[in-house]
Amino acid sequence: MNKNYLNLILVAILILTGCKNNTNEVVVYSTVDQVFSEPILKDFERQTGIVVKAVYDTEETKSTGVMNRLIAEKDNPICDVFWSGDPIRNGVLQSKGITTPYQSKQTSLIPDLFKDKDNHWIGFSARARVMIYNLKLISPDSLPRSIFDFTQPRFKGNFSLANPLFGTTTFHIATIFEKLGDTEAEKWMNDLRTNGVVVATSNGDVKKRVMNGELAFGLTDTDDAFEAKKESDDVDYIFLDQQEDAIGSLIMPNALSLIKNSPHSENGKKFINYMLSQEVEAKLAISCAQMPLIKGTVVPNHVPSLDNIKPMQVDYKKTSEKLETIQPWLKAWTEK
Amino acid sequence: MDRKVSRNIAHIVPSLLLFVALALPFLLLILQWLTSSNKMTLFSFFNGPNLQLIGKSLLISIIAAMLSTFIGSICGFLLYKFKFPFSGFYKLMLLLPLLISPYIFAVAWKDGFFWLFGNAATVYSEAGVIMVHTFVFFPFAMLITGSALSQIHSGYEEAGLMIGSFRRMVISIIFPLIRPAITISFLLILIFSLSDFSVPAFFGVRTFTTEIFTQFSALYNFSLALGQSVLLLVICFLLLLAEARYLSDAPFFSVSVKGSISKKYDTGKRKILVHSILWALLIIVLLIPVFILIVQSLSGRAFFFSQALEFMFPAILQSIKLAFAGALLTTAVGLWTASEKERRGRKFPNFLLLLTFIVPSTVMGIALIRYYNLPALHFIYGTSLILLIAYLGKFGFITSRIIGNGIKQIPVSFEEAASVMGIPSNKIFLKISLPLMIPSLFTAFVLAFILCLGELGATMMVYPPGMELMPIKTFTISANAPEALTSSMTLVNLGVTVVLIMLFFIAGKWIFNKFQYA
Amino acid sequence: MPKIILEHITHHYGKKEVLRDISFSFEEGLTTCLIGPSGCGKTTILRLIAGLEKPSGGVVKINGTIVSENGVIRVLPHHRKIGFIFQDLALWPHFTVYDNIAFGLKEKRERNIKAKVFELLDLFEINDKAREYPHQLSGGQKQMVAIARSLVLQPEILLMDEPLANIDTHLKGNILRHLKNIQQQQGFTMLHVTHDHHEAMTTGDYMLIMNIGKIEVSGSKEEIENSSSQFVKSFLNT
Repeated sequence: MNKNYLNLILVAILILTGCKNNTNEVVVYSTVDQVFSEPILKDFERQTGIVVKAVYDTEETKSTGVMNRLIAEKDNPICDVFWSGDPIRNGVLQSKGITTPYQSKQTSLIPDLFKDKDNHWIGFSARARVMIYNLKLISPDSLPRSIFDFTQPRFKGNFSLANPLFGTTTFHIATIFEKLGDTEAEKWMNDLRTNGVVVATSNGDVKKRVMNGELAFGLTDTDDAFEAKKESDDVDYIFLDQQEDAIGSLIMPNALSLIKNSPHSENGKKFINYMLSQEVEAKLAISCAQMPLIKGTVVPNHVPSLDNIKPMQVDYKKTSEKLETIQPWLKAWTEK
Repeated sequence: MDRKVSRNIAHIVPSLLLFVALALPFLLLILQWLTSSNKMTLFSFFNGPNLQLIGKSLLISIIAAMLSTFIGSICGFLLYKFKFPFSGFYKLMLLLPLLISPYIFAVAWKDGFFWLFGNAATVYSEAGVIMVHTFVFFPFAMLITGSALSQIHSGYEEAGLMIGSFRRMVISIIFPLIRPAITISFLLILIFSLSDFSVPAFFGVRTFTTEIFTQFSALYNFSLALGQSVLLLVICFLLLLAEARYLSDAPFFSVSVKGSISKKYDTGKRKILVHSILWALLIIVLLIPVFILIVQSLSGRAFFFSQALEFMFPAILQSIKLAFAGALLTTAVGLWTASEKERRGRKFPNFLLLLTFIVPSTVMGIALIRYYNLPALHFIYGTSLILLIAYLGKFGFITSRIIGNGIKQIPVSFEEAASVMGIPSNKIFLKISLPLMIPSLFTAFVLAFILCLGELGATMMVYPPGMELMPIKTFTISANAPEALTSSMTLVNLGVTVVLIMLFFIAGKWIFNKFQYA
Repeated sequence: MPKIILEHITHHYGKKEVLRDISFSFEEGLTTCLIGPSGCGKTTILRLIAGLEKPSGGVVKINGTIVSENGVIRVLPHHRKIGFIFQDLALWPHFTVYDNIAFGLKEKRERNIKAKVFELLDLFEINDKAREYPHQLSGGQKQMVAIARSLVLQPEILLMDEPLANIDTHLKGNILRHLKNIQQQQGFTMLHVTHDHHEAMTTGDYMLIMNIGKIEVSGSKEEIENSSSQFVKSFLNT
């Protein structure tokens, strides 16, 4: 009787393990949306002959899969390169000792502001935090011009912010705490609450609610704003805090980290060098309107240039540390 | 004597294998949790607000479980106790909500509310979570009570009809007879509802599961998240323990081998009423969400179906292959654990499957990674074998229960008659027991196949790099894609599953006709 | 010489005692009827003799050899040359009548299987049913198939667990007559469990009347009829 089981199980195993063991490969874990990241990985494969094995995740579920996976795999890493949509997660991994520094000719092309000082992560192609709004619900001249305008009574209950515990939003809030100091920032957050801010599950959710007319405006990332504009004529977006004395818009680069003791670290380095190129930045500018960080990269007209916007001055490492200290407060804030 | 030894080995070795492959990862994880954090922080989650949150989560899930059991039992009663045209159609269609992930349901319903009432605020609440869970999980109750109803011997009902009216008979004969089935579906749905985080997270309702998720994903506080998971595990375990203690003989998606024993009634004058109830349900739980998805998929600037198909194609084949292997494995192991329990009185393997069944997906993923991510075990962790282990952990208990019920219906004397004749036990199994178990094996296989095909939570954590799978792809692509593409992909996903179910249904008809013995 | 010997048999199901210190000898070639109210342990005795269960205590001997003792099975059921007819008949629903009877012969790789099966089918006058499935047969026909199946391997002992319940007396008489004829030809020892004492009186050479786990009285028909036991009197008069 047990023989039969064994046979059945063997058949199952045989059906499945028809996979080849390829040593000329690189394993990439990515939290950048698959629609945009996959074509880049395929191009790398074509140009170098190195097979890319990818694990995708999404910011929509806060990249739980990939992050928890990387942490759990720490003692015996499978992944060579972690490609994140923002540097915060790389910071978390760095603090847990999962990443390793990497420097090359290519990494030096990136301005110091957009990489870790020891190169535990290196930024490229950036997104910015913008305000998306629905033209049918609010006219362009009555829009808020700063995130601090959100607390004005005329906007009550008509705007949205993604859950501040996650993703780019959490980092955005941390920069504000960093700029204003805790007391001021907490007051601002509480005022947002009093003014009826709608806490959405994700930036994508903010986009959707503004797009279909549930709410007049909300904070989101440039890529979401561009998708929304592609899908609907009713939405547009603006950069906030661009005035002379204002704090500027938060710029969030993509970030690459080499994983410590990774199995194919040489290929991982090749991959990182490939990614830090004008070619890749140009492609990301076309596909999802990301702003290149390497000087001289050609971009389509509709993609904003970092030369034309006032970026917020951020120390990413300091902000990451800030983030950890304010998380309990933010958690309590969301649970109100 | 040798025989006895070899028989014991035949039992102990697979049990040990199952324990080492499946249960040990969790025990080690819990052990690690207990030893790594200091005693002060270990139980820091055990405080007033947390207990209050558990209470609230339990309340939400209890209401959802009661509602879905109520709706499901009514459907089961109508569909399995009455003869009327298209009842097979209803049975099939009302199962489909099980195939749509609760998250997609939540999104569709939110949009639906917004279109219908211009305001979606009402669904962003506990009520929204209860509604979606009720609609997604009621088919379980329908299946379980339905199979219990079709096993009631007609004699009981006829005897009841001699004494009182139909209604009295239903209340005082049928209802008490299927009460175990109702309790089981209630508990099962309660556990499913308790462990789902996607719907409450989307509706912004704080539950114990979203709390665990936040600890894992925002704060990366493993120790606390694990502690809370263990607490959830204990709650689910206590609930199932009640089941195991008092209701182990209750039916559970069993397939009747004696199809004709149950009595079916004519709908008579109430035909229209029955059809209206079923149609109303069909519209609410299936057609509205699907309609919303279709409208969304067509409302984009471009027509996305071909693109969706293109994205999905490689993933579809891989997913089907894997779900097939997963179903094969869970059915085979389920067959073994069920025979151990029902025929040899050894409950341990079945108990192992019950334990892993209630482990939250993220915890399962982490436990499996920590355990299997060793260079020597790379042939497991780096390949689809790890997914098969995850599937077994998640669904082995369900197949084991279905097959166990199938075995219970085969009189022991069938096997004894052959054994007295000198037929060797492997021959008895192959020639007597196995053919009689085919309908329940088939049902277990199909259900496991569908569940494996749609599994996301644990798959997300452990799938080998480079592999493309249908639920993962729908999920990761849909993140920033236009809504029309997302909806198209969901529909492709749903379409593929429905086509496969249809094929199974046709195969099932043939199998049941051939192997169902009146 | 006795064919089967039970020595100080006790048996429990869980905590419930079903047999208490039973000793008895069954003579070779004769029919012994076990009668008694339901739940008194009749079926258990058959199952212990067949080896389907191990006695909690005591010894079972067949042909002078110990086959089971004190919780251990020494000789497996199929080496005991036994035919067993179950209360529910246990006809395999997915086999035809022919296959039900031929299954054991095929397994033993015997020759002339077809001839042997049809010899029995002829004897019970059901040869036209050979290709039908159990659920297509009447109650009496099913019983005859079950008996034929148990006899086809030419057992030395035939154990019958009330297989003739629920059929009419005429048919029952017929079947029993057939059985008696075959028994005379083949010479097997028969144990017949029944709760119908009329049936017992017509078929049995010996009687064994049981009451809640123990033997109330045993002996030939005459001895039973003349028994002074109050229990036996009341049982026979019902």
